[in-house]
This record gives sequence, structure tokens and C-alpha cells, in this order.
Amino acid sequence: MEMPAFFRMLDPFLIWFYRITGYAWVDFFLGTLVLALIAVILGELTISLAFLAVKKHIDQNTEDTVRYQNLSVDAIAAKDKQAYSAANKLANEAFGKSFFHQIALSAAFLWPIPFALAWMQYRFLEVDFPIPFTGYSVGYIAVFLPVYVAAYYLFKRVKYRLPFFRRMKVILDSYENQAKEMKTFADLETRPGKPADAP
Amino acid sequence: MRKKTFIILGVMVALAVVATLTLAHTAQAVSVEQAIAQTPKGMEKGQLNMDAQPGFLGIPGAPQPFWFYGLLWAIWVGWIFSTVGAFGGIMAGVGHITIFGLADFGRAFKKTSPMLNKLITDSIRVSNQWMVGLSALISSTNYYRMGRIVLPLGLFLAGGSVLGAFLIPVLTAGKIKLSAYIGYFGLCVFAIAFVLFYDTTEKGQAGKKAAKAAAKAFEESVRAKDPAATGVELSGTKITSFSLTRVTFTFFGVEFSFNPLWPIIGGFFIAALAAFLGIGGGFLYVPFLTSVAGLPMYIVAGTSAVAVLVGMIISIFSYMVIKGVPVYWPLIGAELVGIFIGSIVGPYTSKYIPDIWLKRLFVILAIYVGLRYTTKGFLGYSIVPPF
Repeated sequence: MEMPAFFRMLDPFLIWFYRITGYAWVDFFLGTLVLALIAVILGELTISLAFLAVKKHIDQNTEDTVRYQNLSVDAIAAKDKQAYSAANKLANEAFGKSFFHQIALSAAFLWPIPFALAWMQYRFLEVDFPIPFTGYSVGYIAVFLPVYVAAYYLFKRVKYRLPFFRRMKVILDSYENQAKEMKTFADLETRPGKPADAP
Repeated sequence: MRKKTFIILGVMVALAVVATLTLAHTAQAVSVEQAIAQTPKGMEKGQLNMDAQPGFLGIPGAPQPFWFYGLLWAIWVGWIFSTVGAFGGIMAGVGHITIFGLADFGRAFKKTSPMLNKLITDSIRVSNQWMVGLSALISSTNYYRMGRIVLPLGLFLAGGSVLGAFLIPVLTAGKIKLSAYIGYFGLCVFAIAFVLFYDTTEKGQAGKKAAKAAAKAFEESVRAKDPAATGVELSGTKITSFSLTRVTFTFFGVEFSFNPLWPIIGGFFIAALAAFLGIGGGFLYVPFLTSVAGLPMYIVAGTSAVAVLVGMIISIFSYMVIKGVPVYWPLIGAELVGIFIGSIVGPYTSKYIPDIWLKRLFVILAIYVGLRYTTKGFLGYSIVPPF
């Protein structure tokens, strides 16, 4: 398959990382790790910007979700099945809205992956990695995905040392505290009256 | 409990992958090169012009799914996701079939090269599943964090869905004609239009109003009395009776029951349909389990997200690894960019366009798309323009 102009432009820079040591296997994993790191950093940057752009909307959704979820937990604790069903219905609707929005927003984090895979497809489509003792082999996708996960955790370790992400952390931490305010059904386990709590 | 849930799910996925590898090794779909080689060459309809510019999947003369169209369509998908809620998978699917002209191109080879026709069908299905799979992954993580995944039902549901998600790709990859796929997809879009339309009717809205009133009444009574101080004995999910036809359990003291056969049968058919059409099926699981099986929403929503995720992982795996179906990555990349732009635009427009009107707009579009796909798929022509 012929490489489109966009990938031809990036190709000399990306392939450079695949030629560092001269050992094919080492170079392949090193180059893929750099590619995955670029994908992670680009994704982290865009999701942060997207989050800042719609923060107000997320706040409203989260508030509704927390309110009805807590109400449904209280209703079941009070053994009020009708109120539980009503609150649960509304909690689900609010939660549905909130998480579908999050799903759409998460595209801001994931978008570099298909582009990375597209470039790899042009470069490494024919490369096979045999799975020991099975007779099967996997392609570039099976290598990229675990390396991407590794790159994600690598970057996570250094992320908050960078000023931009440090600022983002302050904002996100306030959400963590808000999330703690949401009751889950597991909270009922610690309420008085639970046999486990009985002396 | 949560850790255990994920361990069991992990084991289940691993088992399904091993089962797929063991059982399906003989079934192999054709590669793009093979499909091109077996297609008649020339300038006529149903022939490949080898001098033409390579397009989708590198097929000469195929439409080049221009990234900009993909981006624009995905902005609409993201907009729907961030305002109306679900149905993103279906909208992405509509784009993959119609917007990029892939269906029309594929249909031209129905008689001359069924192999090429089917390869394009499979590729569209897998492209949809990648989009849905990624979203199911995120929603399952969210539900997990909220403690809304219930293991026993998940096992019944996933048991059926694993079977459906595994069997359908193996049985149908390389066998389903593009026209039939489009027809079934059209019927599915109709079903969605109906569900959404009901939601905007007086009856659908009345249900919501009643729920709001009941919740408000309870909220006020809670202020007067702390439910924690009721002194009742509280415990989580407790199975009180179990038979082949009925499982009764109390959920923090409130009794619920279900027939264990329903989640298995429903899981199987919904996952089979989802794998066949390349959609998530979440919109089918929730009404099925709440209406037919009579389960509370709390249990259904989180668990169905997991079932969708498990089904998608297995479907994608069986299509891509076992059957070797190619995916046009730059298009998925452009679509993801569009979805996130749409998800930013949505909250800003929702101030001016009420949700109910967005839903109605979506219903009109779904009816049009449903009519077009169903008639084009089963009759060979569309009864709505463009014919």
C-alpha cells in the first residue's frame, strides 16, 4: 500500500527511532515505544484542553448524577422501593448523559492511536511476530497496544513534573473530592444495623 | 468483590480468546490482495480499473474516504453523544455505510466479485466495533468506579454474549452480502427511532415526570428523617432462593427476582445481533433486561456495559486476528478527532436547543436512514431520495 502524503512527511522522523541500535528487535520495540509515547503525550494534551473547554457542562452533569445517585442509596436504605426506582431512573439518566459525554471527550485522548497504527500499517504490515508454542503469529497491532499501555504508565510517572499538567492536577483533584461525596451502595455496608458492624 | 469481578471477567476474556484461537483456526477470510486478484479488471461496472487511484484499503478506484468528510460526520456523532446520550455506535455506522460511499462501491461487486463485496462489509463492521469497543471500555471503567457492576447477572449475560459474539463473526465473516447487512442495519435503526420517539411522547415524558415527583417527595421526607437511623438490617445482594427458572434476591433489603434463562438467551441474541451489525448493543440490553427480565436499572446499566465490552473485545479479536479483516485507520483517527470536537460543541449548543428537540431531530434522521437502508438492502432500491 502506498503511503499518503501526510504520513510520508512524518515518516523520516518516526523511522529514525527504529534505527538507533542496529538490532532489529530492540529497534522495533524502541521505535514503537517512542511512537506510543508521542501518542500518549498528544492525547494527554488535547484531553486536558478539551476538558477545560467544557468544564462547566461536566460540573452540571456531575452534580445531577451525584444528587440522584445519593438519593437512590438513601431510598434503598429506607426500604422505599418506589422512591428507589424513581431516583434510580433519574440517576441513570443523569449518569448516562455524563458518561456518554465523557466517552465522546475521551476521543480527545485516543485520537493519536489510529494515526500511529495507520503509519505502522504502511511500514510493518508484513511483519509477523510468532506466538511461542502456538503456531500463530500476531501483527503490529498486538505489539503497539501493550507498548502503548507501558508508555501511558511511564508518562504518568513524570507527567505532573511538567508545569501544564501540574496545573491540571489541581483542577482534577477538586473532582476527586467531589467523587468521594457520591454514595455507592457499598456505603450501606458500613451503616448501623449491618450485621458485620454488630459487636 | 470488585477486584474479584475483574479477575473473573479477565479470566472469561482469556478463555474466550483461547476458545476462539482453538476452534476457529480453519476459517480464514481473504486478504485485500486476494480479493483484488479475483475481481474482473476493466472499466465496466463491477470491474476494477487497475489504473485508477487506490482508495479505501488500497483498492484501485475505491472511494478515498476523505478525512474531512469523516471528521464532519464524527462532529455530528460527538454532538449526539454529548447531548442526546447513547446511539453513537449506530450514528458512526451510518457514516461508515453512507457518507463515504463505501456501500455503493461495494454493491457494484455483488455479482462480479462477491469476495470483494464481503471484504468491504467486514471492514465496515470492524471499524464500527473499534469505535464502540473503545466507548464500552470507558463506560465500564466509569461504572466500575461507581460500584454499579453486579457479578451474578454479568456472568449470565456475558455467558450468552460471549457465545453470540464468538459464533457470529466465525459463521458470517465472508458470507454476508453487503445488501443484506445494510437491510438489517436499517431495521435496527428503525428500532432505535422507535425507542427514542417513545421517549419524546407524552407517555414517555410522563414517566419521567412521575419519577421526578417521586424522587422529590422522597428527598423531602429524607430531610425529615435519616434513613440510616431506620434501624433495619442492611446487607448487599443476598440470594434468597435459586431455581432453574427463578432467582430471587434481596438488594439491601428490597426484593427482586429474575429468570436466569432470560439473561442467557437475551445476551446471546443481542450479542449475536451486535456482532453481526457491528454495533455495541447497549441500547438493546437495557430495555430488554428492565422490561422483559424485570430487573432494576441499577443492576442493568453497569452490567450491560461490561457485556458490551466483552462482546466487542471478542468480536474485534475474531474478526481481526482470526479472520484478518483490514481496517482503514486514518478514517478512524479523523473520526475520533471529530467526536471530541463534537463533544465540545454539544454542551455549548444545548443551551439553545432543548434535548427533546435534538431527540426529535435524531428520530427524523433515524426514520429516513432506516427507510433508506431497509429498502435498499432488501428491495435493491431506496424509496426515499437519493434513489
